[in-house]
Amino acid sequence: MTAAVSPADAGPAAEVKPASRPTPPRPSLAIYLGLAALAVAAFIWFWQTRESTAVLYVPLGEIMLWAPQNPLIGFLVMLAVLAVCWRTRTGAMAAFGALSFVIFTYWAGARINFSLTSIPERWSNLEGQLQAFFRPNWSYVFGVWDQWLTTLNMAIVATALGCFIGLLLAMIASPVSSPNKPTSQSVKALNSVVRSIPDVGWALLFVALIGGTAYGLGPLAGVLALLMFNIGIVAKLLGETIDAVSPGPIEAADAAGANLLQRDRIAVLPQVMPGFVSYSLYVFELNIRASTAIGIVGVGGIGQELSLQMNRFAWENVAAILYALIVVVLLVDLFSMWIRRRLM
Amino acid sequence: MITFENVDVVYPNGFKGLSGVDLTISRGEFVAIVGLSGAGKSTLIRTINGLVPYTAGTLTVGGTLMDPKSKSKLRQLRSRVGMIFQSFNLVTRISVLNNVLTGRSAFTPTWRSLLGWYRAEDKEIAFQSLERVGIVDKAYNRASALSGGQQQRVAIARVLAQDPEVILADEPVASLDPPTAHQVMRDLRRIQQDLGITCIVNMHHLDLARSYADRIIGMRAGSVVFDGPTSEATDAVIEEVYQRSLTAEDVAAVDVAVSLDDLPTAPEQEAAEPTATQAADGQAQQPVAAPGGETEQGRT
Repeated sequence: MTAAVSPADAGPAAEVKPASRPTPPRPSLAIYLGLAALAVAAFIWFWQTRESTAVLYVPLGEIMLWAPQNPLIGFLVMLAVLAVCWRTRTGAMAAFGALSFVIFTYWAGARINFSLTSIPERWSNLEGQLQAFFRPNWSYVFGVWDQWLTTLNMAIVATALGCFIGLLLAMIASPVSSPNKPTSQSVKALNSVVRSIPDVGWALLFVALIGGTAYGLGPLAGVLALLMFNIGIVAKLLGETIDAVSPGPIEAADAAGANLLQRDRIAVLPQVMPGFVSYSLYVFELNIRASTAIGIVGVGGIGQELSLQMNRFAWENVAAILYALIVVVLLVDLFSMWIRRRLM
Repeated sequence: MITFENVDVVYPNGFKGLSGVDLTISRGEFVAIVGLSGAGKSTLIRTINGLVPYTAGTLTVGGTLMDPKSKSKLRQLRSRVGMIFQSFNLVTRISVLNNVLTGRSAFTPTWRSLLGWYRAEDKEIAFQSLERVGIVDKAYNRASALSGGQQQRVAIARVLAQDPEVILADEPVASLDPPTAHQVMRDLRRIQQDLGITCIVNMHHLDLARSYADRIIGMRAGSVVFDGPTSEATDAVIEEVYQRSLTAEDVAAVDVAVSLDDLPTAPEQEAAEPTATQAADGQAQQPVAAPGGETEQGRT
């Protein structure tokens, strides 16, 4: 184009514009129109399926347009995203990604009626409880010393056992250190199953299977639940660390005639040791928190105490427990950070 | 004695690593393998201890047929064949002594290895190996705290702890600076002669190969294209192996990027050692100065 216009007025223009710079390729308009059509389709669908009845009135001179409030806002956001993408010459794929991100987020939020507007409506209910958090009952926290220790003990036992078993499973799960491919694959699959059940799920399961605090077996169920939780985490994280160890020492151990166990012990373990210790400390932190959470489903410890106080509406006690929990978790965090720094 | 008879190596991806290799390497020989990258030097070396399984032909090491399928036989073989690597392959987080003790794995019960509780005899062997390479005082240092040359010496000590009949070395000095490379090669040569070990070394630097080896094997595209005593490996022959004329970088190990400070020590030792070696072997002295001179011309 510039070339076609030029010779006559090229003189001064050439002075001002030293050289033509490459411009980013313009994304295809057709695709953007298609994306806009997708946004319209999404808007229509959200309109049809809307649950909120709030309607927005848009005065346009003589006439008054109206539209369901939330889908319209969502639609405008979609168009704005497309406009920004167009302006920044974003490729078709990325623009599609951005648009679908907005659509999915809107869909998810609309589906569960996500809105913060209900909080002020519940304020009268909330006020009293919030006030309790400003005057926690400190004397109560030390009264349940025993429960704190139970929680801590569950975390320690579960960490020790879980990390050890996790280490063994990680060794078998990683193709680098496992005897053969089928073993590694099946252990990995088993591991995914273990990991797919959350800690509270395991706790409910073990409480149902072997009995909770009612039978005096609460901590046992709790430790077993945390154990499964820990095995899943350590085996996953450590397995990936083992995948990435440097192959040189392993080859050297092989060349020296070491067998599989010797090779794993001599060449693999020292390389992943910092990772293992670090994961173990992380798992210990998680266990302190998780043992509180699973305490609520009846495995004893401070979590059970917490749920008891909540059922009694003793918010001062609840507040005291939560504050103490923050302090405990922070202390454990500092402790493990201190160790990790010395590890490297 | 190591015998290759028409050995082929085909990698799982179909790449032919070795084709029709016939070789006999007798006990106590120091063999250097030269060739360009991808010529099959590493494959040849790794075939001997089964790190790369050969796919056709027969390979016997020390009178027994190599069987890449049998794991226990492989381990037995590897206990007698030590290997040194370009990147040393030490476990850097553990002590030098524990690295050397890795060489004792084949002779140590598994439970001892697992607990890290080695026999006193094995530790003594490890200390003796470290003594041979002259860094016994570093035994309890972390391997990562050592310099490159020292790390390669630890790797040599690890091999010596196996009490090997054969030492395979895959580019043992390629990641070391020239003076250190010479020192490590000299150590290897001395130990090999003291203990009568067969030594097979991959090399990039021609003058190192000429200085320390009894015999040179040239490889190209997976085949052996030259095999003869060091005295026969003239520049013309090597150019034939490389299929191109030699450049300064091919020959020089001493005069590439050596500062003036290194000159008094490096050439002096270099001059002393090959003479002694070759006197012992009764071989013609390969002029070390000549490649250097050539380099000067090549640069200017």
